[in-house]
Amino acid sequence: MSAQTLIQVFASGVATGCVYGLVALSFVLIYKATGAVSFMQGELLMLGAFAVLALHEAAGLPLAAAVVLGVAALAAFGAMLERTVLRRTLGPGHLTALLLTFGLGMVIRGAVGAVPAASHAMHRLPLPFAGASVQLGGATLAAEHLAVIAATALLAGALTLFFRRTRAGLALRACSENAAVAALMGVSVPRMHTLAWALGAGLAAVAGVLLAPVTFVHPNMGLVALKAFPAAVLGGMTSLPGALAGGVFLGVVEALAGLALPEGAKDVVPYLLMLAVLLLFPGGFAAGLRGRP
Amino acid sequence: MSPADGGMDGARDTRSPRPFAAAAALAVLAALAVWALGADYALAQAAFVATWAIAGLGVILVVGQCGQVSLGQGALLGLGAYAQALLALRGVPAPLSLAAAVALGAAGGWLASLPARRLGGLYFAMSTLAFALVVEEALVRWESLTRGAAGLAVPPLALAGWVADTSFAQALVGGVALALAWFACRRWVASRLGRAWRAVREDEVAAAAAGIDVARAKTLAFVLGGGLSGLAGALYAHWIGFVSPEQFGLMLSFELLMLAFIGGARHLAGALWGALVVVALPQGVSLAVERLPPGLAGAAGIETALFGAVLVILVLLRPGGLAGSR
Repeated sequence: MSAQTLIQVFASGVATGCVYGLVALSFVLIYKATGAVSFMQGELLMLGAFAVLALHEAAGLPLAAAVVLGVAALAAFGAMLERTVLRRTLGPGHLTALLLTFGLGMVIRGAVGAVPAASHAMHRLPLPFAGASVQLGGATLAAEHLAVIAATALLAGALTLFFRRTRAGLALRACSENAAVAALMGVSVPRMHTLAWALGAGLAAVAGVLLAPVTFVHPNMGLVALKAFPAAVLGGMTSLPGALAGGVFLGVVEALAGLALPEGAKDVVPYLLMLAVLLLFPGGFAAGLRGRP
Repeated sequence: MSPADGGMDGARDTRSPRPFAAAAALAVLAALAVWALGADYALAQAAFVATWAIAGLGVILVVGQCGQVSLGQGALLGLGAYAQALLALRGVPAPLSLAAAVALGAAGGWLASLPARRLGGLYFAMSTLAFALVVEEALVRWESLTRGAAGLAVPPLALAGWVADTSFAQALVGGVALALAWFACRRWVASRLGRAWRAVREDEVAAAAAGIDVARAKTLAFVLGGGLSGLAGALYAHWIGFVSPEQFGLMLSFELLMLAFIGGARHLAGALWGALVVVALPQGVSLAVERLPPGLAGAAGIETALFGAVLVILVLLRPGGLAGSR
């Protein structure tokens, strides 16, 4: 195994990990702000990819406009779901939110699958860099991997600014820390819940667009969200940077496991890792380092 | 129940609130099913209802009584089904192989419950999810034993020369197994252990302060619930005649949670009501889809969507489940 192969596998692992990380980020964002466990992030991701595809191919919009509009539409969809359905189940019971989001996910998956044009053919988003490659000191890197990494880094920067510098971002963080105190400080908690769902759905849609050049766009592409749970757990379940870092770490470990371990081990490694982390550092890696339970 | 059972909603909690109304409703449903579907088909479905109800009892012990969210119950069914299928194919008599399936399910439950000693709530739910996915992958990869994703054909259940290959025999075996499981669950939830489970469900710290061994209570809920899942899996393998790893994936775990939730996770009767809904719903939905104009493609998608919609509506309108109408 040459160094070049290693670099290429590493880059593809980081790129896949970025998608895991973004989905985990959307999951943790919603979980922290509203206390709801969302099992429909994968379906939102799939719906986002299809929305962009439909806007680009069926409505004929230029790709950039289709991406922006599609992600915005998904954010609006998330807010609408929170307002109409999810708001009714807020509370301590994980099980209600879990089953409700799973049911909504089934509705989304089924509805998309019922559209003949969506389920009968594989689709590709014609992103400008798809299929191209970049030579970097002897190693050949796929341009889409680099694009995914760059887009994720940009998005992480934008989110950091949002959470640190804007009123809405601060209010959302306050609401996640302590909803009662945030309400006393004049933050509208229900509005923050709507915002959290909108952001969560929008982030999932971005992940869908980034995943589209790597896999095809199809109704079951949301299965990738199952890898977001280990990523969220690795990051400690309540930390946004942790979720992203956990996703990237997981992507790299998975890619290296595919290289070094026998066939099939790759799919189990994330879950074994998750079990190990849960047992050894129940608060995630970051909390383990800080010595907090 | 003795007066000592009072206080923290005692064993009454676990019974259907109106047993006679429930029995009458069941009788009417059974009569309707026989009239509409024919006796043979209705009996075959009854066998499935009884089997799902046994699995539902296992979920209710873990989720409804002990208050732990388990996303891995489907994998425990898978362990039972594979144990039964492999032993039946090697000619092991049914009483022995059924016992082995129950034991394997219970052992799986014990293994899945180990993280509960350190984790609670969502973290523990995640560990059961990981457990289930690892078991599923192991069933796919251990090809020399399980024939991998291709699956295994399972012969009919044979008990000492008597072969349960008619739907009447299957319904009979399922009904007897359900009655035994039900009786056992009644005893467990009315016992000291059942009170410990409900105490753990309401407040772990308070339960520990009252001298309850919380870790032991959780472990026992998983071992007993796993045993029931193993039994249900073993029977299911015979009724369906074919097992493959994908049948016992995450979807099944969720279906079982739905079953318990729709029926009412706090009552044992919830298992039966939930099983009726889970068996009847896909068939009702596919009947409804058949009535749609044939030009509308993607019937499978519509089925999934309608199933999800019914789940959403039930969760919103009957958060206590069908049996939890108090």
